[in-house]
Amino acid sequence: MLSFLEIKKNLFTSLPILSLYFFSFYHFQIPEVGKIGIFSFNFQMILIYFFVLKSPSSLGFGNIFLAGIINDTVMGTPLGATSLSYLALSLFTSYIRNATIRPVLTAEWFTFIPALFFSNLVYLVIINNFSNLSFYYLELLQSTFFTFLFFPIFHYMFSQYKRFILKE
Amino acid sequence: MADIRDDFIISIRYALLKKGAKQKFSLFFLILLSISIITLDKFSPPFMTSVRAILNDFVYHVSVVSSQPAVLKNYLTQKTQKHYSVLSENKFLKKEIEFLKKQKFNNAYLASENEILKKALQITDKKEFAQTFSTSAKVILDQKSPFLKSILINKGTKSNILKGMTVFSKDYLMGTIIETNYLSSRVLLLSDLNSKLPIIIEGTDINAILEGTGKKQNLSLKYLPENYQLEPNKIIFTSGKDGFLASGSPVAQTYLGKKNKVLIKLLGDPDQALIVKVTNGQAGQ
Repeated sequence: MLSFLEIKKNLFTSLPILSLYFFSFYHFQIPEVGKIGIFSFNFQMILIYFFVLKSPSSLGFGNIFLAGIINDTVMGTPLGATSLSYLALSLFTSYIRNATIRPVLTAEWFTFIPALFFSNLVYLVIINNFSNLSFYYLELLQSTFFTFLFFPIFHYMFSQYKRFILKE
Repeated sequence: MADIRDDFIISIRYALLKKGAKQKFSLFFLILLSISIITLDKFSPPFMTSVRAILNDFVYHVSVVSSQPAVLKNYLTQKTQKHYSVLSENKFLKKEIEFLKKQKFNNAYLASENEILKKALQITDKKEFAQTFSTSAKVILDQKSPFLKSILINKGTKSNILKGMTVFSKDYLMGTIIETNYLSSRVLLLSDLNSKLPIIIEGTDINAILEGTGKKQNLSLKYLPENYQLEPNKIIFTSGKDGFLASGSPVAQTYLGKKNKVLIKLLGDPDQALIVKVTNGQAGQ
């Protein structure tokens, strides 16, 4: 029987996975901010990039895959497209993790650009070849730009979480 | 140079195949699985349709639960705004009632005159697009997707809803059913890029195609005659040229936007739709 403290601890350590699933079910954008949709960004990508890079044990690839499938179902995009896009991001991030000797924020921030590019490229190729959906390129570009821009803020928040909750 | 290439290959192989202590699957396996799912989804073998329908129903219902805090927040905001706008609206409505009372008598006269003229010309009201199916459904999810402007409703094949049926909100055309599951369906909104509807403009005999642009306040008209200038405050109706929808259903309205540009907005607001009517033709009249 788990005690309350253990449940609480498990809940806190599973926060990245829980938020990944939550935002896959509830597609996260912030158009409510001044009713301007341009600030929308892809939270899942920041989450995946950070945790695969810094704490791969907190976020399993299986969870990333499943979150992608859920996201596809909610969004109505071809099943597996987001999964592959997230896994492409994870692959790129894993490569960066293996190739990095001394991690610094600026380097991680700027390597996020090719990672986003690679992931979105995979997504675009699948949408264009495996569905008849038209694409809102400008919105995707805006979303990608703000995903990149907001990374340091979330980097700080996730680092604090890692330090105080995961004790890494 | 060869060392750098070797390092790169080793890193990629490590990233692909290494599972780590807590990882149950390798990236390589999951990427292959994703590709298989995409391929299966593309070619849709018979079992995939039912698998997808079950998955959709499950995910949609969990998604509805997860979006409840946002729904509650929106509900409270709207209620507060509505409360403050009721007074001014009331004053405006009183004036409008007075105006409409006068109009009513005028309309009655015009209707009787119309009947007399129809009889004289031997014209009868044809019902080409008789509606044989109509059901109400609740909007369960309104996802702000950057790729597909759609809503989810709580009726599916269990309630005899089929792909291609039309959806109305407050008697305004809102979209078409593009995906049906057992307990839910997805409605492609008129504001989506993939939506195309044959229309006619009020007071003219101009036919065109109304296309979505992703924004409900800025739709576009295609195949307008050359040098045709769109006027503001004109209602756009369905022309019925698709042979499915009845002609004369109001869909959109032109209005004067910023910089005096004439824009087109939908009459029905998909964001406000709570209960919609699904039919196999036109709105209930």
